[in-house]
Amino acid sequence: MDPAVAIEDLVKVFRPQLGGRPLRAVDKVSITIEPGEVYGLIGPNGSGKSTTMKALLGLVAPTSGTCRIFGADSMAVDSREQVGFLPENPYFYKHLSGAETLRFYGKLCGLRGSQLESRVDELLDLVDLQGARDRRLGGYSKGMLQRIGLAQALVQEPRLVILDEPTAGVDPIGSRQIRDLILALRERGITVFLCSHLLEQVQEVCDRVGIIFRGRMIREGQLDDLLAIEDQTELILKDASPELMEKITQLVAESGAGELVRSGRPRTTLERLFLRETTDRKD
Amino acid sequence: MSSPTRPLNPRRITVLAVNTFTQLMRMKVVYFLGIFVVIAIAANFLDLPTHAAPESAGVGVLYAIKNTCIGLMSMFSLVLAVVATGLLLPKDAEDRTLYTILAKPVPRLDYLLGKLFGISALIFLSLVVMDLLMTGILTYRTNQVVETQQQMAAALGYSPEMTARLEMETRALGPTWNLQGAVLVVFMRAVVMASVALLLSTFSTSTLFTAIVGFLVLFVGFFQADAREYYFSGTGLLGRLGSAGMSIVLPDLQLYNVIDAVIEGKLLTAASLLKVAAVTLFYFVLYTFASWLIFARKEF
Repeated sequence: MDPAVAIEDLVKVFRPQLGGRPLRAVDKVSITIEPGEVYGLIGPNGSGKSTTMKALLGLVAPTSGTCRIFGADSMAVDSREQVGFLPENPYFYKHLSGAETLRFYGKLCGLRGSQLESRVDELLDLVDLQGARDRRLGGYSKGMLQRIGLAQALVQEPRLVILDEPTAGVDPIGSRQIRDLILALRERGITVFLCSHLLEQVQEVCDRVGIIFRGRMIREGQLDDLLAIEDQTELILKDASPELMEKITQLVAESGAGELVRSGRPRTTLERLFLRETTDRKD
Repeated sequence: MSSPTRPLNPRRITVLAVNTFTQLMRMKVVYFLGIFVVIAIAANFLDLPTHAAPESAGVGVLYAIKNTCIGLMSMFSLVLAVVATGLLLPKDAEDRTLYTILAKPVPRLDYLLGKLFGISALIFLSLVVMDLLMTGILTYRTNQVVETQQQMAAALGYSPEMTARLEMETRALGPTWNLQGAVLVVFMRAVVMASVALLLSTFSTSTLFTAIVGFLVLFVGFFQADAREYYFSGTGLLGRLGSAGMSIVLPDLQLYNVIDAVIEGKLLTAASLLKVAAVTLFYFVLYTFASWLIFARKEF
């Protein structure tokens, strides 16, 4: 089976029209996302996250390298049949209501008639906007816009959803709703590729994470692997008695081959990892 | 689920065109129709000096109504074509609506055609409304003029044949199919300018730039046939090539001056109308194709 996303050695160089120094926004980035995975791409502003996503959607052409969606070249229009996209801070047509917006995007994807209407209803229920279905988007709050944006991304039942900062500017409640929606997508087997600055949220929903910095992928892997402290071993016991813990401590001391550092959860946080890999980086 | 992703899908283009039309309608760009109504009705009350002869009694008002209404139709349709079309693409890009549309299986050519057909539909509908009002006023006023002329003719002892000929001549200055043809030419000229504005907006950085350059193209278009005649006449093959090149790069809008002849009461032949339609189609296809060539490679 083809990967949901296959980005190989992607390079994107922006050349200013009136001369000047070219900007290498993305530098040999490779990402593979298997179907059903939730992948998080994190990095500081200007690190190349959005450019990578745009290249995957055919909105920018790679300088070199390839981007494929379920095996189809992302520069081909066909590849977008399987993709839903929510850009950062989307402003949809303010003159349309929530239901009209979904109908518009649904029609663009070839939906019509009762199939379209039932899909619109289903999505409005999913994003909890049934009560605002006939209100124009000009009167929507930021969180509601993000949710209607997510609904339009899902209108043609895509197998891959790309979310660029899906909770940017959204209050904690709205942010939690969107997080729950992402988890619901994962339950339904939909592949999710998201980039976010909210590291805690990425940690909550993602199976795998990539850290991009100055256009280069500097760390990538399973979230559990990335967050584990390499020279320590975690032993998780359920209902362990103080006597058992005492015995384990004694056994470790007697073996002389290891040291019990502490009990609990010897993990760093994604935020610390992110800061170590970006802000504290020497090169 | 799959949808056809070949370009030139009529259903998808229609969806985009309807959305563009609705967008512009809800942006209330057709408020100018109110100005048209006021000026057109005011033109009806013009009391131009008339001569004692029944042949000219009140005829000046008919010219004035036609001149005013067609002039306003031309102005409004051209402004709408240049400004509204120039606004659409930059606004979609700025609001990132363009991203969500192009992230769907929508070929860029379909997107451009949807925008162009949407604005064309709006111009067409606006012209229909203005045309209906003009025809209504003109019909009312023509009947008044004919009545006055018949009274004067009777007082001067005109024969029934002379009176009938006089009525026929006067009605030719009123609402005729010729006049409807002129309105159609106004529409076609606006479509050409809309496709020019679309081309400009594919590479311009602002709506203001598109509007300024669009109006410059419009201005040059009105006079370019004279300029070609002046610069390229008698310059041989190179001159002819230069002349042809100029009329391709910039639309030759002098061809659309048949409108003025119709206002003067001259006949608009089917051949003239077909020629204008063919030229319109040529410019529309040419500028839309050029827009697509640029837009297909544009990065967002």
